[in-house]
Amino acid sequence: MCCRLLIPNWLAGLLATGVLLILLVFTASHGAVQIPLSAIPDLLLMNAPLLSDEQQFWRDVLLEIRLPRVLFAALAGGVLALAGATMQALFRNPLAEPGLIGISSGASLGAVSAIVLGGGSFAILAPAAFLGSILATALAYHLGRRYAGMAGLLLAGIAINAICGSLMGLFTYLADDNQLRSLTFWNMGSLAGATWQRLALLGPFLLLISIWIMRYWRAMNALLLGEREALHLGFAIKGLRRKLIVLVALLIGPLVAATGGIGFVGLVVPHCARMLLGADHRRLLPASFLLGAIALVLADYIARIAVVPAELPIGVVTSLIGGPFFLWLLLSRKS
Amino acid sequence: MRIYYSLTTILLLFFITVFSTLALASAPRVVSLGGPLTEIIYALNAEQHLVAVDQSSVYPAAANQLPKVGYYRQFSLEGVLASKADIVLATDQAGPPQALAQLRKMGIKVIVLPGQANLSALSQRIRGVAAALNLPQQGEQMVKQISQDVKALQPATSTSTSTSTSTALMLMSRSGEPEGAGKNTSADAMMQLAGLRNVLAQQQGYKPLSREGMAALRPDVIITTTSTLSSMGGMAALLARPGLAQSPAAKNKRVIVMDDLLLLGFGPRLPEALRQLMSAAK
Amino acid sequence: MLSLDHVSFSRCHRPILNQVSLAIPAGEFTAILGANGAGKSTLLSLLAGELTPQHGHVRWAGQDLRELANSQLARVRAVLPQNPGLGFNLSVDEVIAMGAYPFAELSPSAVAEVIQAAQQWADVSHLTGRRYPTLSGGEQQRVQFARVLVQALAAQQAGEYRCVLLDEPTSSLDPLHQHGLLAAAQKLAQEAGIAVVAVLHDVNLAARYCSRITMLAKGSIIASGIPCDVLTPDHLQQTYQLAATVIAHPQDPKRPLVLFDC
Repeated sequence: MCCRLLIPNWLAGLLATGVLLILLVFTASHGAVQIPLSAIPDLLLMNAPLLSDEQQFWRDVLLEIRLPRVLFAALAGGVLALAGATMQALFRNPLAEPGLIGISSGASLGAVSAIVLGGGSFAILAPAAFLGSILATALAYHLGRRYAGMAGLLLAGIAINAICGSLMGLFTYLADDNQLRSLTFWNMGSLAGATWQRLALLGPFLLLISIWIMRYWRAMNALLLGEREALHLGFAIKGLRRKLIVLVALLIGPLVAATGGIGFVGLVVPHCARMLLGADHRRLLPASFLLGAIALVLADYIARIAVVPAELPIGVVTSLIGGPFFLWLLLSRKS
Repeated sequence: MRIYYSLTTILLLFFITVFSTLALASAPRVVSLGGPLTEIIYALNAEQHLVAVDQSSVYPAAANQLPKVGYYRQFSLEGVLASKADIVLATDQAGPPQALAQLRKMGIKVIVLPGQANLSALSQRIRGVAAALNLPQQGEQMVKQISQDVKALQPATSTSTSTSTSTALMLMSRSGEPEGAGKNTSADAMMQLAGLRNVLAQQQGYKPLSREGMAALRPDVIITTTSTLSSMGGMAALLARPGLAQSPAAKNKRVIVMDDLLLLGFGPRLPEALRQLMSAAK
Repeated sequence: MLSLDHVSFSRCHRPILNQVSLAIPAGEFTAILGANGAGKSTLLSLLAGELTPQHGHVRWAGQDLRELANSQLARVRAVLPQNPGLGFNLSVDEVIAMGAYPFAELSPSAVAEVIQAAQQWADVSHLTGRRYPTLSGGEQQRVQFARVLVQALAAQQAGEYRCVLLDEPTSSLDPLHQHGLLAAAQKLAQEAGIAVVAVLHDVNLAARYCSRITMLAKGSIIASGIPCDVLTPDHLQQTYQLAATVIAHPQDPKRPLVLFDC
């Protein structure tokens, strides 16, 4: 426990925000299209008519393609990690993640049925994935209410996941070759569709929900003590559980719809944050958000850079790097 | 008011002529997103325009030397931009759609062509690629040649079908477990053109086959690809496989093995592939 | 005032409490004594508002507990549960500070003041800066007690009725700290005017620190009142099924001393 970072909250927050900003600038200035670093200030500051064709091209790449993408990566990473931390608090289990109550498999089922039954254009796919995640979560919550505590929700989630999985199997069986490939790629996740429009559509909403969730830090701390203790401290557990689940579903549903499955961030990042800063949710929630943003921006950078001019699927990178990193962290802390 | 209209029209016409002459003057830089399209570009001898291809472009071998911008379904936007392409040729399965839209926004000409496995889609592909590369005559020539060749092969089959139609099973395997080709696959299209009756015509796409299911099909001919044969452990293993061993095809050793891309590519080599398939199926 | 009014409670059709009526007066330290399975913890859970009785009412100042919002109740009632466990990595200070969560309006300095007082009362000042999971069971119990003290004392108005419920608070403490904790609870009742209720097993500890004792047997109250009235051989026999001798304490003749004859 002595290895915990003993720095004040404001400094830690400032530090992480600084790292994130530097990373955003750094990763935005690298990519398949080589833009000299020295040219970037000109690109940003000069008037469009004064730029050469080459510069104009660089500017478009930088502002229209990379910038929305790195910003979207930061947003998605932050949201995934925050949702993970919230689920871990809610279930009082460090292995919990949004997938536990059917959010992800519901979204996958929605996406798969859109691909197989509806042709799979983004206009159908995204709403279907969102709807799937919300419906699966609502069903898991509704069924789980009958039991006391989180056990009911957990069991209902397992059942919902199994049902979604088998239905997905059925759709996969019905799918033709092209649909199968669409499916595979959707499950691996992608940030390639990030545009300013999508950022403008999702960004404010997701940030608002994130801040809303962070306001529940007291309740989540109280839950660490136990459900009875949280009750004694004035947190109505049933209402709290419903609120947090709705908020997490509102975070993850639209995000998964837009990016597909990006694994591991929601599980590992809150863990790392907890190891660094302890379990106090006042710090843990914002720290998870910032660390998640940093992690996904980095992972996306690797995905974009590793096999230039092609690209790796982002979900593959997060698991490929997140897994060993997490193991290393666990082993190095034990000794 | 009218004078403004005519002025703008004149201006527009002027710019269009200027730009089109400029475009003609400098050779277009082309990125191909889809193996079938790449093959057509090479068949038109226009490969000097190709600056990058996707990962499914593996024929001809020379295409492997070009930079690869990812799989056509999830190509890298920046990878395409980095190649400084003027034209992107894509099959209708290429994506993600937002990335294609972004390319258009950046002023790159994106031409989407049908990817289905049938003759009319092939003709459209060839015409589309040829038009994009400013080779319409060569494209028309190729379309004509292919339809002539395919037609020339047809009568021979139609007489034979009236007497006895051979039934065929197309097997495909990536993992050692064979899958059978149903409707809406290029294998099915090839069988139809070759005058063979697909025993799996009831099924959509590729589906795993159980041993008993295979035994019930009783095909006269088995068609498969070289990579499938090696993943299933060679000819002897395939013939000995329970379910297949009982079929007339295995008993008479009528197994046709063809190169994957030749058999299933549905590109300019279609007549050649058809000729090979039909002579082997006789 | 917190009170039970003809409360009956059963679990899976097995009656646990039967027609229990009890008032918890301010400024008094009430002990609840009884054998295992007598319904002590259930009684405490009913008082805490965790459970609702099938019959009868639990009332807070005349109002049924069910009508009170959880957040409202948390500002006037604190509970120390029996086996506080903690699987997550928090610091001692963070755990104690949780006692102030129901009082979001308090300034950080006001909270710090209450926390300091509570730390002294619970004798955990020396544990500040430690991580909670590294503490011994007894230390954890005292840290939890400090958290409860913060909740009981924060923003208390003069004459305001507040209640603290302790479920076997001495279970993992050594004799020194058993006395320390109960002395602090006694002080809480006497000096802060808070109604304190504790489920206890040690009859003589109850006689030493509590101003009132309620004895439970098989879901009913056997006796309730001041220690020397309640602690009689007859009551003890009914409660524990054990013969007992009650004498005056050699150092404090007003206090009864119970000796079980076995």
